[in-house]
Amino acid sequence: MTDGPLIVQSDKTLLLEVDHEQAGACRKEIAPFAELERAPEHMHTYRVTPLALWNARAAGHDAEQVVDTLLKFSRYPVPHALLVDIADTMARYGRLRLEKDPVHGLVLISSDRSVLEEVLRAKKIKGMIGDRVGDDAVLVHPSERGALKQALLKLGWPAEDMAGYVDGEAHPIELAEDGWELRSYQREAAEAFWHGGSGVVVLPCGSGKTVVGAAAMAQAGATTLILVTNTVSAHQWKQELLRRTSLTEDEIGEYTGAKKEIRPVTIATYQIMTTRRKGVYQHLELFDARDWGLVLYDEVHLLPAPIFRMTADLQARRRLGLTATLVREDGREGDVFSLIGPKRYDAPWKDMEAQGWIAPADCVEVRVTLTDSERLAYATAEPEERYRFCATTATKQRLVQTLVERHPDEQVLVIGQYIDQLDELGEMLGAPVIKGETRVRERERLFDAFRSGEINVLVVSKVANFSIDLPEATVAVQVSGSYGSRQEEAQRLGRLLRPKASGQGARFYAVVARDTLDQDYAAHRQRFLAEQGYAYRIVDADAVLSGGEI
Amino acid sequence: MESYADWLRARGDEELRALLSARPELITPVPADVAALAARAATPAAISRALDRLDRFTLATLEALLVLPRPVRAKALRTALGAKPAEVDAALDTLRAYGLAWGKPPQAAPGVRQSLPQPAGLGPPIAEAFAGYSRDRLTVLVTDLAGAEPRGFTDPAGLITRLGELLADPEPLIADAGPEARAALEALTWGPSAGRVADARRPVSVATAATPVERLLARGLLAAEDDRTVTLPREIALHLRGGRLFRDLPAAPPPLAAAPAGEAAARRADLAVRAAAGEAFSAVRRTEELLERWGLDPPPVLRSGGLAVRDLRAAATLLDVEEWHAALVAETALAAGLLTRSGELDGEWLPTPAYDLWLMRDIAGRWSELARGWLKSDRVAGLSGERDDRDRLINALSESVVRGSASAVRHAVLRVLGDAPPGAAVGADAVRARLDWLQPRRGGALRDRLVEWTLREAAALGLTGFGELAPFGRAALDGDDPEADLDKHLPEPVDRILIQADLTAIAPGPLVTRLGRELALAADVESTGGATVYRFTPTSLRRALDAGRTAAELTELLTRHSATPLPQPLAYLIEDVARRHGHLRVGTMTSYVRTDSPGTLDEILADRRADTLRLHRLAPTVLASGLSRTELLEGLRALGHAPVAEAPGGGVIVTRPDAQRAEPPPATEIVRLRHGDTADAAMVTAAVRALRAGDEAARLGAEQARLRADAPPGEPPRSPSVATIELLRGAVDRGTRVWIGYLDQQGQSSSRIVEPVRVEGGFLTGYDATRAAVQRFALHRITGVAELGDEPSGTT
Repeated sequence: MTDGPLIVQSDKTLLLEVDHEQAGACRKEIAPFAELERAPEHMHTYRVTPLALWNARAAGHDAEQVVDTLLKFSRYPVPHALLVDIADTMARYGRLRLEKDPVHGLVLISSDRSVLEEVLRAKKIKGMIGDRVGDDAVLVHPSERGALKQALLKLGWPAEDMAGYVDGEAHPIELAEDGWELRSYQREAAEAFWHGGSGVVVLPCGSGKTVVGAAAMAQAGATTLILVTNTVSAHQWKQELLRRTSLTEDEIGEYTGAKKEIRPVTIATYQIMTTRRKGVYQHLELFDARDWGLVLYDEVHLLPAPIFRMTADLQARRRLGLTATLVREDGREGDVFSLIGPKRYDAPWKDMEAQGWIAPADCVEVRVTLTDSERLAYATAEPEERYRFCATTATKQRLVQTLVERHPDEQVLVIGQYIDQLDELGEMLGAPVIKGETRVRERERLFDAFRSGEINVLVVSKVANFSIDLPEATVAVQVSGSYGSRQEEAQRLGRLLRPKASGQGARFYAVVARDTLDQDYAAHRQRFLAEQGYAYRIVDADAVLSGGEI
Repeated sequence: MESYADWLRARGDEELRALLSARPELITPVPADVAALAARAATPAAISRALDRLDRFTLATLEALLVLPRPVRAKALRTALGAKPAEVDAALDTLRAYGLAWGKPPQAAPGVRQSLPQPAGLGPPIAEAFAGYSRDRLTVLVTDLAGAEPRGFTDPAGLITRLGELLADPEPLIADAGPEARAALEALTWGPSAGRVADARRPVSVATAATPVERLLARGLLAAEDDRTVTLPREIALHLRGGRLFRDLPAAPPPLAAAPAGEAAARRADLAVRAAAGEAFSAVRRTEELLERWGLDPPPVLRSGGLAVRDLRAAATLLDVEEWHAALVAETALAAGLLTRSGELDGEWLPTPAYDLWLMRDIAGRWSELARGWLKSDRVAGLSGERDDRDRLINALSESVVRGSASAVRHAVLRVLGDAPPGAAVGADAVRARLDWLQPRRGGALRDRLVEWTLREAAALGLTGFGELAPFGRAALDGDDPEADLDKHLPEPVDRILIQADLTAIAPGPLVTRLGRELALAADVESTGGATVYRFTPTSLRRALDAGRTAAELTELLTRHSATPLPQPLAYLIEDVARRHGHLRVGTMTSYVRTDSPGTLDEILADRRADTLRLHRLAPTVLASGLSRTELLEGLRALGHAPVAEAPGGGVIVTRPDAQRAEPPPATEIVRLRHGDTADAAMVTAAVRALRAGDEAARLGAEQARLRADAPPGEPPRSPSVATIELLRGAVDRGTRVWIGYLDQQGQSSSRIVEPVRVEGGFLTGYDATRAAVQRFALHRITGVAELGDEPSGTT
């Protein structure tokens, strides 16, 4: 028995005691083969998954190192079965390799013939491979490189992709570090990505993921296709790139509903890429329009299914995914890993906050009690209307007003799901409302006004969830959300986390109706943040209304 | 001429004791004298058991004694075995110690030849091989070989003798039969000595022989045993073997895996111990998890007496292990007496009261009980899920998994692991190879599978780590106390937990039992292992409230045991659940709902989903329903309320699941000597003594009575029965003699002088000096005991 910081659980989770003196060293050593799952205040939970073990193998770690690390830091004896399982799992990686053969082109080679036989017999693999060349190799259609890797991963025999990447069309891009410089973690993230070839970088909102993207582009020095969630976001990427790199206006093209520019660096939206006419994706040729050296996916957790399929064909190009949370409500995290690449870098939010890179945030859930008549109405509401009813209850309106009044000199965002509710709130608070039907130009004008401080309060619908840059928002009031979406909650909190000039902390209010569906969904949404160390305090609305301390 | 019995009699006491210790079945019961001992030692059953204990080389030595011409010369023996003198001597010593070989020059003990019909894989000698031939056939054979009609010896016996002479040097005959025939002979050379051919008894002669086999038969190099079998006569085989009896006979067991050198070995060994301890801890935890579940929700006993496949599968899912492993957990609990079946009909598998005692022990103590149970059990968990000879499914916990040799093989396998150098992992193949050498006669498909299962199960129970026997595993194997050693590697129980704002609590080690149970009540277990992760949910907290805890108690408990301040969201959650808990009260008798807030009832009544509850309003604060209380509770909960059940008096009914227990059937102690069991030293000593006395008696006939120790004159002593046992136990410990009064089954009282050997199972066993024999006395028939001096008189 040692006094290590790590406890190994039989379900292959690792519990790391954060306050332990060896915690830092331990974290560094287990990070390559374990996924950070939860990071609340005392004990962080990592999970050893086959995928993580294979990624560790890909990064050059062997089973002995993994076992050693566990034994070195583990406080208690580690069950034998678990160690054997780790060794077995890691041994599966690399039995199959994708290589570029000078004669045959792309081939799947095996160092273990029985494994090759096993996977060749699998039905799913059949269509992706060509003739046998020799006993231990088989031809692979280059277009199936991604799909094959995905299928092999599902079979439990991940292929080591040694076929390399095309360099793409060279295009010099430099970082213009005038008056700012790359933060240490941004540099580490960009380097981790570059060494891995392709993959995903997970960093909290406000920590400068765009800059990581720019740094990766500078590394590549090649033409780049950037896929973003919406038009506003595309504009912002353009502004950021102009500011952070040597790129000029002429070198950056926008490929959106309004403009169809193809330039050395092209920014396209998911929406345009997935637009179909007569069942055909019209803008697919964009992927082949240039010899892209790098494809960059912003907010990869929102990547729509058609883009996954298109990405499968792009396996020879370097791919970088950026996101704040890899939680996908559709559970397709595995596809992200196999098609874009494994997670190359992540950092606990609280660590970044401690280092001052993101603003500290204080999350408060305010519970309002429905009046008796509201309760009665709630009980009689149709099932599909119930959430809407409790989320938009009138009792919330007065509370929101009080909360906004409590922060008179701060930039306040009021965020909600239901337009009627938002319109009412806008009227009551005398604040402009941004919703789906608001034109892009009008949106940008309002954002600018908010940024400059002309407007203090802005009411926004979920259109503003992603990639809008509101540097000075310090308070957010969430009145309703998309049911229990955890990543939406994380994104909304992320709006507040950009470091403030004043060094002041941010405040995030979630207004929730007590003893209703609203409360259940809120608990589900908040779980992700609680696991990131952002625990909600809960206060009663009555206490707020009567002027009590929050 | 000296007989086997004479030789036995001439052995020293020490040697006799060694013999009886090695073959304890010879003294159950103790034979009257050495002649009887010799007779018993020669019975097929006794010989077979003794042979089972021999290793490959010693067994080969014995076989050589049977095959080689007598008297067996040391040199001939060495040549036949291809071994060094020291190795042969050691083997002979073992054989003599076992009483399987005797005398000088050595010869096999009586009965051995019958038990080893084909020593060294050799066929019958010529004299036997051709005994079934008719006179005419023998005449043809001899005529062919000698080149002329036999003269003089015309009876079959004479012809066979003549045949033997003609075959004394078979080489020219073999050469004459041709290379194909030689190849056929070589196939039979190293055994088995018989081969199958069609029509073996066809008449053949050298002139008419067509096939290689016919050429051999015509030359007497093969003998027809029956219509379809030909056999290679022993003399011919010996010639072909070129003087050696065995093709490949290592004098020492095959080596185990080489140990890594120096530091690496120590590191590996350390790792193995830690891994084993981790698994040991998990094994205890799994047992507890399974039995806790079965205590609440017991699986039924199948009519055939086992555990249903479905229930085994459920157990595997619960424990998150494979099915064989779940079967192992259940079988081990059964073997350790923690699990039993309740009742005769429609029984259930339930934990025993011993399980509750087991729970009170520390982890190492619990583990040692499991390990002991597994080691001695004759049940083979690995068989569950397979099909028996009649293609019926074998269920876990049923009687079909019993295999008599299981415990012996388990011990043997672990001993092999124990012999390996530290840091060396021994695989199943190496273990099997070594067992094949150590106990060649006990091999077979079952043992090979048992080896595999034993290795797998020993790893799962934590006796081994990475294929190496852990020190505590070794202690358990040797019957020593493994607890102290295991304890060093196990986590200490903690009473501190870490509570986090994401509503989880982490116990960074095994919890003290009371806290563990309270937490399991108030929170759901999310992950187990070295630590336990609990998650608080409204449901789990409600469960605690339902079980009679109050919000204040829960908060107090958590605050007291938390290493850090209680997070605000959890404190709020407890308050919130408690606030709603018991808000509504429901009774069984009249099935009503009452509350203090009429608004709530308005709400319920207004809810269309409540229609199915058939509620109507009794008063502003009371509702009644036609449904049973349970249905009503469910219904209200489904509406999102948190009602509690209410007793007629208005008190809250506490619903706490009561775990069930069952009493195991009274265990009948059957004292049974198995393979590998050794008799205890005192018993052996007493037996030797009785044998000597018996011998003496037989020799002196009528004088026997005089040699018996006479009981002291006067009334036999009287003592109360409690004192009797005390006195007898004391006498066993000190090795002193006692004078007892005994009432036999016919009611005759007698007075005896006894040297007690042991007191157990209601019987006193000991050497009865007054009868000069080892006897058993029922304790309840002993009327009294008095201690005598330790100087035995008269019998030596």
